[in-house]
Amino acid sequence: MKTPFRLDEHPRRPQPLAAPPAGYFDRLPMQIMTRVQPAPARETVATWSWLAALSQPVRTVLASGLVLGSFATAFLLTPSASAPTTALARVPQAELVQYLLASDTRVSLTDLAELPATDQAMTSYLQASPTELQDALDAQPTEETYL
Amino acid sequence: MRRIPPGRLTGAAEKIIPPPLNPTVSWSSNQLTTAASNPVPCLEDQDILAKFADPASRNLAFNQLVRKYQQKVYWHVRKMVIDHADADDLTQDTFVKVWNHLGNFRQDASLYTWIYRIATNECLNFLSSKRRKFFLPLNDVGAELAAKVEADPGLAGDDVEKRLQKAILRLPDKQRLVFNMRYYDETPYEQMAEITGTSVGALKASYHHAVKKVEQYINDETQPD
Repeated sequence: MKTPFRLDEHPRRPQPLAAPPAGYFDRLPMQIMTRVQPAPARETVATWSWLAALSQPVRTVLASGLVLGSFATAFLLTPSASAPTTALARVPQAELVQYLLASDTRVSLTDLAELPATDQAMTSYLQASPTELQDALDAQPTEETYL
Repeated sequence: MRRIPPGRLTGAAEKIIPPPLNPTVSWSSNQLTTAASNPVPCLEDQDILAKFADPASRNLAFNQLVRKYQQKVYWHVRKMVIDHADADDLTQDTFVKVWNHLGNFRQDASLYTWIYRIATNECLNFLSSKRRKFFLPLNDVGAELAAKVEADPGLAGDDVEKRLQKAILRLPDKQRLVFNMRYYDETPYEQMAEITGTSVGALKASYHHAVKKVEQYINDETQPD
């Protein structure tokens, strides 16, 4: 019959596991000193090293903000379509009057004759001064003129 | 060289860095000398602390401190995590924490006890985070450590010692810690109480039960079918 194992009868080995690699305890103090010393060179050379120090969620938020910011900047810098009034201002006065008088449904000579005295807003909309309107009326055939 | 991610260390500062110890109990570091004592002539703890307080001699003092305690800390950690690479990481982390907090250390307590306590917390946090990380139950981490024991060249050819190591690994982490401190390092119970924050009576009971469990496990393993 086998003798039962008793711990107090077993020869005790203070370090039962394999020893660390040779020279380990000579190198360890230097490795630890390297970790506890500030590294000014690292701070100046590695400009982006602070990114590595951020946690994963913070980095994700930062990247998302960067993408959204790029979209917003691109949207703001895109030239908008010309305003209608600006486009209208580019049309020569003569062409404008001809267009308006081409059909009675748009504007009649009577409307033009009454316009300078009644509606300042409309004259500004037409981009024509009362003098110009008068000239346009004078240029029309006499049989259509009521003045 | 592997490094433990910083995130692993956050959130439990007061657990990792022990509070000031009981000033009524003071152990000389000479009482803690183990078979792995450092051959380098060392300064007394008080001298190290005095030099550390002076910025001009801080690095030299800390270097002396590391040289004085590195082997004790390493073997304390190594017996808990078995693997050399893990023990290396945890030993370095322990001394980095010592550097960061030594300025606040109350000199009426034993420096070595304080360091030992930091190392102990590092080990326990490492093992528990390993379980949390891989959702492993207690026995699976134990099996992983047992596999490392099996592969350890220091135990090659010594079946009884190998069985003893595997039996120790079956103990819960804290009981294994108590067993290691008492059986291998012959640490006084009073000092173990300071390190673990447990009463002397509870530690004696824990060690007694640990010995019984280890013996029982080995005898069950060697019993003929």
